[in-house]
Amino acid sequence: MAETQAVTAKAGALYDLGYQRYTGQRLDRANAVRTLFAFSLRTAFGLGRGARSKVIPSIILGVVFIPAIVSVGAASTTGFTALISYSNHLQFTSFLIALFAAAQAPELIVTDRQYGVLTLYLARPLTGVLYALAKLAALVAAMMVLTFGPQLVLFLGKVFISPSPWAAFKDEWTVLGPLIIGTLTVSYFIGSVALAIASFAGRRAYASASVIGFFLLVPAAATVLRNLATGETKRYLILAHPIQVIIGFGNWIFHIQAKLRTQVGRAELPGSYYFAVMLAVIAVATTVLLLRYRRNEA
Amino acid sequence: MSLISTKDLTKSFSDSVVALDNLSFDVEPGIIGFVGANGAGKTTFIRILLGLLAPTSGSASVLDMDVGGDRMAIRRVVGYMPEHDCLPIDVSGADFVAHMGRMSGLPFQAARERAAEMLRHVGLHEERYRLIGGYSTGMKQRVKLAQALVHDPKLLLLDEPTNGLDPAGREDMLGLIARTGTEFGISVLVTSHLLGEIERVCEQLIAIDAGKLRYNGPVAAFTELTERLVVELDDEIPELATALRSRGLDVDGSATLLRITVRDDSTYDLIRDAAAELGAPIARMQLTRHKLEELFRDQSVAGAHG
Repeated sequence: MAETQAVTAKAGALYDLGYQRYTGQRLDRANAVRTLFAFSLRTAFGLGRGARSKVIPSIILGVVFIPAIVSVGAASTTGFTALISYSNHLQFTSFLIALFAAAQAPELIVTDRQYGVLTLYLARPLTGVLYALAKLAALVAAMMVLTFGPQLVLFLGKVFISPSPWAAFKDEWTVLGPLIIGTLTVSYFIGSVALAIASFAGRRAYASASVIGFFLLVPAAATVLRNLATGETKRYLILAHPIQVIIGFGNWIFHIQAKLRTQVGRAELPGSYYFAVMLAVIAVATTVLLLRYRRNEA
Repeated sequence: MSLISTKDLTKSFSDSVVALDNLSFDVEPGIIGFVGANGAGKTTFIRILLGLLAPTSGSASVLDMDVGGDRMAIRRVVGYMPEHDCLPIDVSGADFVAHMGRMSGLPFQAARERAAEMLRHVGLHEERYRLIGGYSTGMKQRVKLAQALVHDPKLLLLDEPTNGLDPAGREDMLGLIARTGTEFGISVLVTSHLLGEIERVCEQLIAIDAGKLRYNGPVAAFTELTERLVVELDDEIPELATALRSRGLDVDGSATLLRITVRDDSTYDLIRDAAAELGAPIARMQLTRHKLEELFRDQSVAGAHG
């Protein structure tokens, strides 16, 4: 009898292990930043979230990838190898990733503030600045998927449709550098501006509206100013127009001569000016974002 | 080793708003209640311990680590459950707690396992795979507690954990806090504006009022200090109060309602004898508690232990 009881007690103890102390490895701050980056990158595409959070990212993913895939598919069946050009695709995706940034930048940082999650992050081995950097990196990486991803499809398409892929690769590979720098700069440009604006908003809808407003109103204002201005000023005012700046930068990085009837063509500015403007905007937006989050530290 | 230690800790937000006023105390590991009325400085104190706010002057340390220099090391071994909402809506409880575990330094697999374990401990079972947005207030409080525990902290900071819960939910939460402190061996600092609630689960008590330390010691002694006996009379017999005072009791109140500090059982005998002598018709006798706010106006408490 006593023996049975002992066995039962043992079995019971097996089921109820009680509280287990954690004695394993504890990772450093870099791990926290990486974790937040990966979690936020998934959030940008609605992964690990409810169905509604996946709608906008899925639509934009479809719109940027389908033309590239269709173009490659058509070329492979017809043998007609004129694919969408890299610079055209970059212009085309710029507008879409601006929409993506307007929708998802608030998803990445405004919700954390709105629902108080930021409090929990800051109570962990993480500073406000590192938090903001992880979020910025995640948004830019998500936008790279949307810009560089389809370009890579086009690149691989060109290589593998060709009768001799190796020769085609040798012809084409030098474009990879401009492709990466081009898509990264445009993604960082739009992403940093969107996050800097969103860092001031208390609610997602206001943040999205402000980002969209920025990318609509600034070009409109720049256009009005240019129409009023004359001579040299008129030429330089193109640098105040974000969309034209992206077009001018795209022409420069892909070594394309701007057509004369386009605004960039008429302005006749060195391509590096557009790049310089983007870098300046990136620096300002990043500084604003980091300063906003540095306030959260003691 | 001291759990929390402060020296002349002061935090003022402007010249006129002093949230913490020269706090100096030491507490040993255990379950510590931190009581004060709303706005007494409880949340400010917790934010200083986490290194989220810098003290205006003075110093504080957690587990012998300074809140200024060692805040990252402190946050690694402290779990924090804020008073207000702090959960995203469109993530599942299991995913969120695991994510928070990884943010605190646990490797992926360990974070998932401990998240499941902690959610089970706080009483969330199948619900943990649903999105948090659909949870009740009680379930959200449980997730908040689980995320504070997931990385196996040495100290839990719980800010008003029973706020917004119904009576049954409060009981559950207090039970969980007691279990966490006793069975898990994790020290707990739990704040509340309701003394009656947390004194049941705490071993030690710290009371602050308007940023000043009013009490630091065992719960039992504080309970004695704060218990009052209310004696209600059918008629006005002003002589009763005088008679009781002359017998050395601490009495205040009006002619028909007296509040008396209970020192020990002999207090009851004194009241009985005095009432019998004067023929005072006692309608009701009841042990009550001071409200915290009243208590701190009573300088005898502050004088005795402050």
